[in-house]
Amino acid sequence: METTLISRRQSKWYHLGKQVKQSRFLLLMIVPAVVFYFIFCYIPMYGVLIAFTKYFPKKGIWGSLMNNFVGFKNFAIIFNNDPEFLTVIRNTLLIGAGKIVISFVAAIIVALLINELRMRRFKKVSQIIVTFPHFLSWVVLAGFITSLFSRTGIIDDIIQACGGQRLDFMADGNFFLTLIFASDVWKEAGWSSIIYLATMAGISPELYEAADIDGATRFQKMWHITLPGIKTTAVLLLILSVGGILSAGFDQIFNLYNPLVYDQVDILDTYIYRQTFQNLVNPGIGTAIGLFKSLVSFVLVVAIDRVAKLFGERGII
Amino acid sequence: MKGQYPKIRKLPLRPRGASNNHRFGWLDVVIFFVLLFYVVAVIFPFYNAFVVSISSEAAYMSSDLLLWPKDITFEAYESVFTSSQMWNGLGITMILLVFGTLYQLFFTVITGYAMSREKWFGKNFVMNMILVTMFFGGGLIPYYYLIKNLGLYNTVWVMIIPGAIDTFNMLLMRNYFASLPKELEESARIDGANDVQIFVKVYLPLSLPMLATVGLFFAVGNWNSWYNGMLFVESSNLKPLQLVLREMIASISSSTESPTVQTYSQNLIMASIFFTIVPMMCFYPFLQRFFVKGIVVGAIKG
Repeated sequence: METTLISRRQSKWYHLGKQVKQSRFLLLMIVPAVVFYFIFCYIPMYGVLIAFTKYFPKKGIWGSLMNNFVGFKNFAIIFNNDPEFLTVIRNTLLIGAGKIVISFVAAIIVALLINELRMRRFKKVSQIIVTFPHFLSWVVLAGFITSLFSRTGIIDDIIQACGGQRLDFMADGNFFLTLIFASDVWKEAGWSSIIYLATMAGISPELYEAADIDGATRFQKMWHITLPGIKTTAVLLLILSVGGILSAGFDQIFNLYNPLVYDQVDILDTYIYRQTFQNLVNPGIGTAIGLFKSLVSFVLVVAIDRVAKLFGERGII
Repeated sequence: MKGQYPKIRKLPLRPRGASNNHRFGWLDVVIFFVLLFYVVAVIFPFYNAFVVSISSEAAYMSSDLLLWPKDITFEAYESVFTSSQMWNGLGITMILLVFGTLYQLFFTVITGYAMSREKWFGKNFVMNMILVTMFFGGGLIPYYYLIKNLGLYNTVWVMIIPGAIDTFNMLLMRNYFASLPKELEESARIDGANDVQIFVKVYLPLSLPMLATVGLFFAVGNWNSWYNGMLFVESSNLKPLQLVLREMIASISSSTESPTVQTYSQNLIMASIFFTIVPMMCFYPFLQRFFVKGIVVGAIKG
């Protein structure tokens, strides 16, 4: 009895040892990744406990938890006593959703235009030009935009030359919102169109030939062949982007905005940053907002995955 | 003896969505002009920045239409090229570009390779560990205190080390390795190659185009890097180029409230922008196909 147990256990360990030995090279390769993800992704996840404390960096997370545990007080503060927070949530949803819809439509329009263009050389050149802005940083774009739209910039020059009044664009919240969407399209539409162009190139030419024989016009071919041909890709990309709705673009807004337009364009990420590092509000509050954002995004992704599967599309998880 | 072979002429590709017997109609003209308008709209900010950079500050501040350079002066470029701040920033950025890119490429590629191999002990566990991080994260502030506790604050390492593995690019590499035929590994093993040789001598040489793509994505990211620098770097001699530029641009908008902040003239800022983007503008037309490959492969397989 005793011997069989031991030998069974031995054989289990032996089996495991054999497996480990067989994959020792791959295991060795994966060690840096495990260490990396543990340190830079999992330790910050443990760090969300800061959200339940009045945090003092000197005491560390554990010390703050022991001595300054406040439960859900930080959440109560942001939801009940922080009028700015609700504005920020509204802005985030508006900008996030607006960007998803506008970028989606813009990318498909650009892809259709380039796809339908008959001049091969111009097609190639224009594709190189319109995809380039994707590789600029928002720092550079902020420079471009301040130069164009400042009170002495060219846009105001043109307005004046046409007999209009000079406007202070950068201080006008509503204009700023438009600018957020427009600059996002300027930067990303060309790049995002590539994936649709690649999908369009994969549509069988026979479909177009058959449509020609049936006497279809170009609009009909676009509507009945090209657009249905990219439908799967488009739906997949659209639902993928919904998960990021609460990350409405920190880099962009942080580089572009100024105190005059906080009311209209301040989003969760910029708010967390400002509150913590400029207004020196207790880090517990900022962590609570960040945790709220992460949780809602997570729930959104899971929900979207379910909905996508419900509609017979390939899931994302 | 290259010259002996007759040059193979590329067959003209049929434009998709339009048949060849279709004449060049009004719709083609409309499409051309709409696209031309779009291309001009993309180029215009570059052009405007260039005009401002070689015009005098007075010309920019005046209310005259500045469509062409006025009072042409290269002062701004002179001060950019003699600015120790800019060259120092460029130096830091070059460190990030060279060492950061190699470092990220190394760890991302070996992880992608390991994840692409069939089954090995613990693979599912590691895969789930990685995928969870795509959907949930701790947020900015826990990350900030982590970096401080690790002792990376105000070092050049803070802009390199936390970027070791990019999950998206890792999955890109994994999909690429997985798409190569399994028989390669089997036949190499029969020939007596060990695991290291199979990876280095069989798989890596076959994935050079994908390595180039992922490497270029990392290189652009490092060239444009400013966020970690802004959060974690205080010494001005450790600031990368984009961060130096960011502080110049931010000085303009913040000068409206606090006049004590040093402001930079608009033509100096535009010249600095060209200093940072001209290298990219020179390389991009030749490298575009690698970037395109990355997005196409990534989206089809992902």
